[in-house]
Amino acid sequence: MKKQTLLLLRFVLILATILLMAYSKSGLDIASPGYVVALLYLLTNLTLYFIPETRFSRPFITFGVFLVDVVAISVAIFLTQGMQTDFYLIYFLIIFIAAVGQDIRGSILIAIVACALYGWLLYRANPGVSIFNSAILIRIPFLFIVALISSYWSTEMRRQLKSKKELETFAHKLEDEVTRITEKETELRRYSETVINSVASGVIAVRGDGTITTVNPEAARVMGCKQDKLTGSNIEEIGGLAVLWQKMKKSIEANKPLERLQISIKNTKNKTIPIGLSVSPMTSSNAKFSGCVGILRDLSEVKELEEKLKHAERLSYLGKMASWIAHEIRNPLTAIDGFSQLLAHTENKKKIKTFSDEIHKGAKRINHIIEDILTFARTKPRVKASDIDLHKLMTQITETIPNVKFSIKGDENPIIVGEEESLKSLFTNIINNSIDAMDKNPMLVIDFHKRKQWVVTEIIDNGKGITEEDLKKLFTPFFTTKSRGTGLGLAIVKKIVDDHSGKLEIESEEGKGTTCRIYLLKKEK
Amino acid sequence: MKKRILVCDDEEPIRLLLNESLQDSYEVVEASNGRDALSLAAKEHFDLIIMDIKMPNVHGLEAIERIRTRNDSIPIIICSAYRSMEDDIVVKTSNISAFMTKPIDIKTLKARIFELIGT
Repeated sequence: MKKQTLLLLRFVLILATILLMAYSKSGLDIASPGYVVALLYLLTNLTLYFIPETRFSRPFITFGVFLVDVVAISVAIFLTQGMQTDFYLIYFLIIFIAAVGQDIRGSILIAIVACALYGWLLYRANPGVSIFNSAILIRIPFLFIVALISSYWSTEMRRQLKSKKELETFAHKLEDEVTRITEKETELRRYSETVINSVASGVIAVRGDGTITTVNPEAARVMGCKQDKLTGSNIEEIGGLAVLWQKMKKSIEANKPLERLQISIKNTKNKTIPIGLSVSPMTSSNAKFSGCVGILRDLSEVKELEEKLKHAERLSYLGKMASWIAHEIRNPLTAIDGFSQLLAHTENKKKIKTFSDEIHKGAKRINHIIEDILTFARTKPRVKASDIDLHKLMTQITETIPNVKFSIKGDENPIIVGEEESLKSLFTNIINNSIDAMDKNPMLVIDFHKRKQWVVTEIIDNGKGITEEDLKKLFTPFFTTKSRGTGLGLAIVKKIVDDHSGKLEIESEEGKGTTCRIYLLKKEK
Repeated sequence: MKKRILVCDDEEPIRLLLNESLQDSYEVVEASNGRDALSLAAKEHFDLIIMDIKMPNVHGLEAIERIRTRNDSIPIIICSAYRSMEDDIVVKTSNISAFMTKPIDIKTLKARIFELIGT
């Protein structure tokens, strides 16, 4: 019980006591000792006022206070001789207050003390009174009944109050927990937003129906639109993003990621932007979270750099080409020019023949060089499709090459569709390279076989092989390991193979030899 | 006695041309690569060397550098199809008498040789 409540109830009790004393049978004059009792009674209340609040939680303090009350009332009844009056009703009030202020044991004890004192007062006022006297028979049990009922009632009240308090505490805790979770959720959302917004690549999440759910600043920049305008809008309604949506839809439908795609989008500012795209599908039982997430990278700068690089490469090629032409053409040109000068000053028939032959050889060589340049520089394939028997073609080529042993084996009917002159040039170039790589006892194995849609021609030499470093640069124009090589041979070979939609593989081991594998499309029956 | 000229070029027609053009006034000895030229220059006496640059087995520039370590006075004429910046450096550092870019004019070549060694 709270200190203030207890003090207040006691004041009421004191007031009631004074009033009952005043209206008692003997009356109350100013010199009555009853006032002394009332005064003392009041003093106990004042003393209690100075006792700290915490002490009131101790049961023996409250019990002591109520005990004092019972004794004080008994003294007041004794002094006012109010044993037969309604003065005893004050006991009910004390018992009731005691029941509210403490537990059932305390209130029963107070009731016992009250019964004993009141019984003694009754007995003293009426010596020899029967126990069956109505005053004893009714009033004393009633004191107990009141003690029990009020104790039960106050316990119940306290229990309810406790439940209510617990409920309130629980509600507060719940409220705190909800606030904490909400704060955590907000923090997490902000954190993930910060992470997504900080990604240097563009991030765009789209639901299955095309609604954009998340878009980061980089993606918004690429699309040429504000982030908040894009969020919530439908990707299908944004012109120029059709290709992007098409790829995303494909990933959603197949439930498979698409990686490293290169597409071009037209952003809202009507600017075409090349982008690198990876799409991952998002699957969830909740349609709200189903869709896909796209990671896009603006490739404008990369493409620009690539273009610059290509331009630089073209210029570099041009420089190399100029140097190559100078080397290759000026030598036969020197011969033609020089021998024609000598021709004018000689009458020796043998010399005339030698000089003329040299002029002719020089002219032929220049023509051959021009042919090579034209083949290399040709942008469109010059394939006059006809059926070619590679076996026959290879026999023709090898017959013109002296001092080399050839072993042609494998499939005897390797027919492909291609252009004869180009293929002759292709095989001649490869065979010449192989011969150049072999020092003594040159021996070349040429093997034909069919594999799936291909006719595979393997040209195997037992030469010195190619270093790993040189293998990487083999098809680079003007790259040569030979002091007299033009550096165009294998670049032309590659070009002819590409023109025929074929494939070329070169395997080599230093000191052991090289295998060149040419894949050409076989003739369909 | 005729003065001796060493002609070093991997192109057989060029060697033939130079031989035919100069044989009336000089004794011409041919080498088809840098290695042969070095070996001939080490063994025999020559009054002048005509050297190509792009050649198999010891590049022309390397051959010139090695010849210069033994003989820094012999006139050397380079006859090359292409003159690169690298060639320019060698011309400056290796005391080259002339750099003639192909196609060479026989008359000019003969005049330059005459200037250098006479007949």
